[in-house]
Amino acid sequence: MTGRVVDGLLASDLAAVAERLRAITVQVRGRGRGAGSGSGVVWRPGLVVTNAHVATGRSFVVETGDGAVREADVVASDARRDLAVLRVATDRLPVAEVAPPGALRVGALVVAVGNPLGLSGAVTTGIVHALPAPRRGAALILADLRLLPGNSGGPLSDATGRVVGVNAMILRGLAAAIPSDAVERYLERMRLAA
Amino acid sequence: MSALRRERSSTLETLSEDLAAAVERAAASVVAVHARPRIASSAVLWRPGVVVTADHTVRKDDGVTVTLGDGRSVAATLAGRDAATDVAVLRIDAERVPVADFAAAGALKVGHVVLQVGRTGGGGHSASFGVVGALVGPWRTWRGAEIAQLIQLDLTIHDGFSGSPLVDAEGKVVGLNTSGLARGLAVALPVAVVDPVVDALLAKGRIARGYLGVGLQPVELPPALARKYDPPRRSALVVLNVDPDGPSERGGLQLGDVIVDVDQRPVADVRDVLSLLGPDRVGSAVRLGVVRGGAPIAVSVTIAERPAR
Repeated sequence: MTGRVVDGLLASDLAAVAERLRAITVQVRGRGRGAGSGSGVVWRPGLVVTNAHVATGRSFVVETGDGAVREADVVASDARRDLAVLRVATDRLPVAEVAPPGALRVGALVVAVGNPLGLSGAVTTGIVHALPAPRRGAALILADLRLLPGNSGGPLSDATGRVVGVNAMILRGLAAAIPSDAVERYLERMRLAA
Repeated sequence: MSALRRERSSTLETLSEDLAAAVERAAASVVAVHARPRIASSAVLWRPGVVVTADHTVRKDDGVTVTLGDGRSVAATLAGRDAATDVAVLRIDAERVPVADFAAAGALKVGHVVLQVGRTGGGGHSASFGVVGALVGPWRTWRGAEIAQLIQLDLTIHDGFSGSPLVDAEGKVVGLNTSGLARGLAVALPVAVVDPVVDALLAKGRIARGYLGVGLQPVELPPALARKYDPPRRSALVVLNVDPDGPSERGGLQLGDVIVDVDQRPVADVRDVLSLLGPDRVGSAVRLGVVRGGAPIAVSVTIAERPAR
């Protein structure tokens, strides 16, 4: 290690990352019977990325970290990629900073924020467990990090708070996230890119 | 995104970089072992050409292959295995794999950050993160090995990563991970415990351990019986099971016999008997003081070697 961690810098750095992530994380709640709920990431002004398995209804509300509740509509959804995009009628929400592709290494710290069990903005930390070769074109980040069902659709970030992926599922106890570049490609394909 | 460049690199970033670097350094000596159906396990190059893994992941003695960090697959031969400590040793012919870098002995403390570094069947490396939860021992494994120290981990050994090394924050090996030694709990055998096992397995292929072939349970002796002994005995061991053709059966021990002493030393706990079954006792006879049908008798049993599985 490079030196002693003094004056609680590590803790305050982690708190700062958590705060940045909470600001870009929303709670997604479906309306009506059978509608899903989970988390989402404000990816672009007015656009929230979540999982397709969260956005299973037509209309949703998103609740931001400040407690404001806004209407949201599904503008794109792809079950195979497990990605969906919601539009919110405001562009004032803080937007995620996305990590450049390929920067992630096995062993690097990662941080997840989500709304498991209705706990808003719950933070979990861990490391990148493995970066397996893509299967049928779909890459996944596997993280040694505790996820709970309500984390679905929420951000996975690196140690600087840049979003490296969208948490999608739990695979044999490991957190599985869709890499940010796969999200970017999907947004471009849906002509939702900036 | 470049507009958001920060002035200083945070301690969190530094920690992240250091952990990833530690994982990369350690991974150079980690291989995947293919010795069971479906799921590979991990192993570490302990010495030149000598690979150490968790015994319970090696389900066959022949046809074992290992995948190296560069993706090559090479044949491995089983040099020896010890179920009691859950250690297996394989030999491979791969000169370019660097031998693991070991941490100084005895430096590990409760609370230290540790990493599990494995290799997946596909050849990529993997890691999980945690801390040393406790350093326990001496401890007796359920298969009868006496271990000076065991590292109990607050860390998840994910499926397929028993046999991988436990490394410190610098990537130096401090132990061998296994979930097969303590009822699925994540533990690691310290390097100082693994080393002599590796020596013995390379020399002989196995470690002999004494074996009586009985199932025992502590019981309280009735006062009338307890008073017959001097000093009076409060408890003893009842025989619940006698292995067919095992050493105790050959010696004439019977179901329901109550063992009061072994070589005239009182036994009140199963551990009292296990402690008399070290490798040096194999082949020697013990005299069991037994109560059968209310009457004290003596039974002589020749300690055998514990079966490999």
